[in-house]
Amino acid sequence: MAEPVKDLNVDDLEKKQEWWWIAEKKRSKRLDYLRKAVWKKGAVGGNYAPGIKVDLELPTLFTQMYNWWKFDPPMLRRAKANAHVLDNITIFITDHAQLVGYMGSLPHTILWRVDGASIVNEELYNEPGIIPEPVEENLKKIADLNSFWAGQTAVDKVARLLDPEDAVKFLSGAIGWGAPTSAYGYSGKDYEFLFAKRNGFSDILAMIEERLENAEDRTIGTPGPDILPLYERIQNWEAMKVILEAAIRYANRYARLARTIAENYETDPVRKEELIRLAETCEHVPAHAPRNLQESFQYDHFVQMLARLEAHEGAWPARPDYYHWPYYNKDVNIDKRLTRGEALDLVGEFLIRAYEVGGFGPRWAREGLQGITGTWVWTLGGVKKDGSDACNDLTVALLQAARLVRVSNPTFGFRWHPKVSDAVMREVFECIRHGLGYPSIRNDPVLVKNAMHWHGHPLEEARTWVHQACMSPCPTTKSGVQPMRMASATANCAKMIEYALSNGYDHVVQMQMGPKTGDPAKFATFEELFTAWVAQMEWIMNTLVRTVNLGRYKDPEFYGRPFLSATYERSVESGLDAVSPVGERGNCWVTFFTWVENADSLAAVKKLVFDDKKYTMAELVSAMRKNWDGNEQMRLDFVNAPKWGNDDDYVDDIMIRCLREVARHSKEIKCPCGNNWPALPENVSGNIHYSSIVGSLPNGRRLGDALYDGGISPGPGLDKKGPTAVLKSCGKIDHVGDGRAFLLNQRLSPTQLAGEKGYQLWKAYIRTWADLGLDHVQFNMVSDETLRAAQKDPEKYQEVIVRVAGYSAHFVDISRKTQDNIIQRTIQGI
Amino acid sequence: MKCTECGFEAPVAKFRYLYNARIDASITLRQCPQCQAWLAVDELAGSAQQKVGPGEAPWGKSAGIEGLAKDAAS
Amino acid sequence: MKYKESKNFFPNPDNPQRGDYVERVVDPRQAYYKSRPVNADDEIPETAAEFVKPQK
Repeated sequence: MAEPVKDLNVDDLEKKQEWWWIAEKKRSKRLDYLRKAVWKKGAVGGNYAPGIKVDLELPTLFTQMYNWWKFDPPMLRRAKANAHVLDNITIFITDHAQLVGYMGSLPHTILWRVDGASIVNEELYNEPGIIPEPVEENLKKIADLNSFWAGQTAVDKVARLLDPEDAVKFLSGAIGWGAPTSAYGYSGKDYEFLFAKRNGFSDILAMIEERLENAEDRTIGTPGPDILPLYERIQNWEAMKVILEAAIRYANRYARLARTIAENYETDPVRKEELIRLAETCEHVPAHAPRNLQESFQYDHFVQMLARLEAHEGAWPARPDYYHWPYYNKDVNIDKRLTRGEALDLVGEFLIRAYEVGGFGPRWAREGLQGITGTWVWTLGGVKKDGSDACNDLTVALLQAARLVRVSNPTFGFRWHPKVSDAVMREVFECIRHGLGYPSIRNDPVLVKNAMHWHGHPLEEARTWVHQACMSPCPTTKSGVQPMRMASATANCAKMIEYALSNGYDHVVQMQMGPKTGDPAKFATFEELFTAWVAQMEWIMNTLVRTVNLGRYKDPEFYGRPFLSATYERSVESGLDAVSPVGERGNCWVTFFTWVENADSLAAVKKLVFDDKKYTMAELVSAMRKNWDGNEQMRLDFVNAPKWGNDDDYVDDIMIRCLREVARHSKEIKCPCGNNWPALPENVSGNIHYSSIVGSLPNGRRLGDALYDGGISPGPGLDKKGPTAVLKSCGKIDHVGDGRAFLLNQRLSPTQLAGEKGYQLWKAYIRTWADLGLDHVQFNMVSDETLRAAQKDPEKYQEVIVRVAGYSAHFVDISRKTQDNIIQRTIQGI
Repeated sequence: MKCTECGFEAPVAKFRYLYNARIDASITLRQCPQCQAWLAVDELAGSAQQKVGPGEAPWGKSAGIEGLAKDAAS
Repeated sequence: MKYKESKNFFPNPDNPQRGDYVERVVDPRQAYYKSRPVNADDEIPETAAEFVKPQK
């Protein structure tokens, strides 16, 4: 990394807004070492960075034991195989570290979950540079593993059950993405069970033992139908026991290593003491509930790593300031065991431990999540179960630590509510002003109501909500916590309007996809077009949801989560896999990628074809088929038609009408728990991934162009009436009843928002945002000049972070097309 | 249209369309089928404006050709 | 050379036939100690890194 200009002090750097150099100057030596020690796992424009290698220890160990226990039932078989991994995988402790745990055998490795999907496994052959040395030998090992798993991964098993037509259309990659299995995706953690109720794994083992004894007594008692399910559940409880005991042994391996280093190798007395403390920490957690902040962070990190050793989790639902606060408060404020600076070091390292995590993902996922390996959006702020303000000193410490370590993962989503203090809001703003792109701001009162409206979560439970990935809230409670992200219910919504204008035929993948809704050239009224659009919208939602529902329903049999189950109160009680829909209230949503193009396209057609009659439907369809080639003036007319984000009722009314149709259908389709599937418009970097998959559109876009940056954000450069007009358009949406959540990207000027005046301007903007009832907004506050400089001289700007969509990434790690797309976003003067 | 780099001449559509980062500008990025150069193309005039180098910018407001898309609102 | 003959082998107190083999690694980004369980009587493969005393 290039060095900062040596003679510049912090004040000079602040004036130049080079926040990354300021962070380096301000953070402790330990944090500086640990931050620079991280091997970046996020793919750069789809490719892994030099030096990153796929980890072969885990798949090899897992497969050995999975094959050995071939006659065991699914959860028990998996538990034994994973326990074998925990007992034998190489572990490591980085110099200066106070927290440990990684899901690969070495710091530069990425996890490969071999039992998820054959189509992902086969991609490994095509990835240059990530096969460890000796390459030829390891390619052979990979081929052996792939041969074993071919046909028996979770996705292989689901695919055999799917309707063949659904399977082909889903696998075309045109209408959505994801995999209908808990092998990929992510899980909520039952923080109420583990942290609020203070249960360590030994406590859970005792609960399981009690259940087992009771069930075993009953199975040798009076015969009847009530005891029949117990036979299977006994096996599941056994599986939970196996994995929890292995997890305790795994932590003890770290304790042993820390003691070995301290007693045999380490010469520095201070570090020796730290290593002994680390050993004591790993001897205590996860076996027992934590006693202090270090143990609390370590317990949480072990839980997250153990869940990731079991499945490829692409998100990290967490609420650290809420669940770790009692320990921070005890150590820093009551017992004064830690100084605030020491606590800040631990907080910073807690962020770094998450930042270094990464797994091998398929190319579509890497392109869709450029620069990162998943969306670790941690939730801060919000209210307690009684509705009082939950913000505390740890909220502030996390926001301050984020500015010191400047990681692009995890990022934060801040639950704003009217009782948040000015001091906390200033810390939130400082993170945004420092160009981190986070926290995103979430409207807590709106989202609590929304959780009750869509999924019937009781008020107290709704108030525990955490971000599942970028956006969607879910409670952390026994019946609320969500074990499996419905990843494939992620819709490429631009296809709705594309198919309405092509009679359901996809001219990019060249097959009949959606229903035949009529020859668009013959549509005589806007209503005919809109009816076709509704049919295509329903078809896309139905196809994706059917696939996911089946994947969820069969997941305990096809994949299964022994560790996750052992950490869920409802599973420990019932003996059912955590992924079983039984006992969960249901919290599904359909992620709506590339959504706003629908409203802009429909409005343009209505205006230019049916109202002004400047063009005919036949002319429009013809221009679409030619990707607008030779029709540039016509294309510009369609670009200049009314566009979302300008407080123009002509197009805004169409947006609302579309959303109401979606909301109606969201209540008609049900998840395996019997609950609703509301829409959630957001994009990650799917707008770039889908740029070569979505055909030309009547908003003026050609095949190949980036789509809008997502959610309900206006098209880049198309919001010409200023920030208030954007907010007013977005405020016309009912953020409770029209969908689960709505992402809004905004770019603000770092120059305008400098100093106290800048903070007051931003705070006034947030008040307007809240008054209009929006549920989300996030900001980029890096100037065009800095971004252009970073394009020209990337080496010098390695640490510049930008908000892409629901996540942040280092600017130099995203593709040129994505960089350009961010620069094109309008900088709003407020 | 004529390639500014190698002089290859063909209708605009023969130059492979890459992308247009800025939807409201009539400037696009296309690739010459003969010399593979990336070209900034005025779609209204049907003419290549300049080569866009790999280290330089493709587009609109981005690095290298800031201000080229003058017909777009800022 | 067998693991049990190495100074980097630390036998498991409950089962001395097994133990941890600890190595020091300095990679381009960080320095760390790694550990993996081994059988005391197994031969150390040639690929195992030699222990390097930490630089202070």
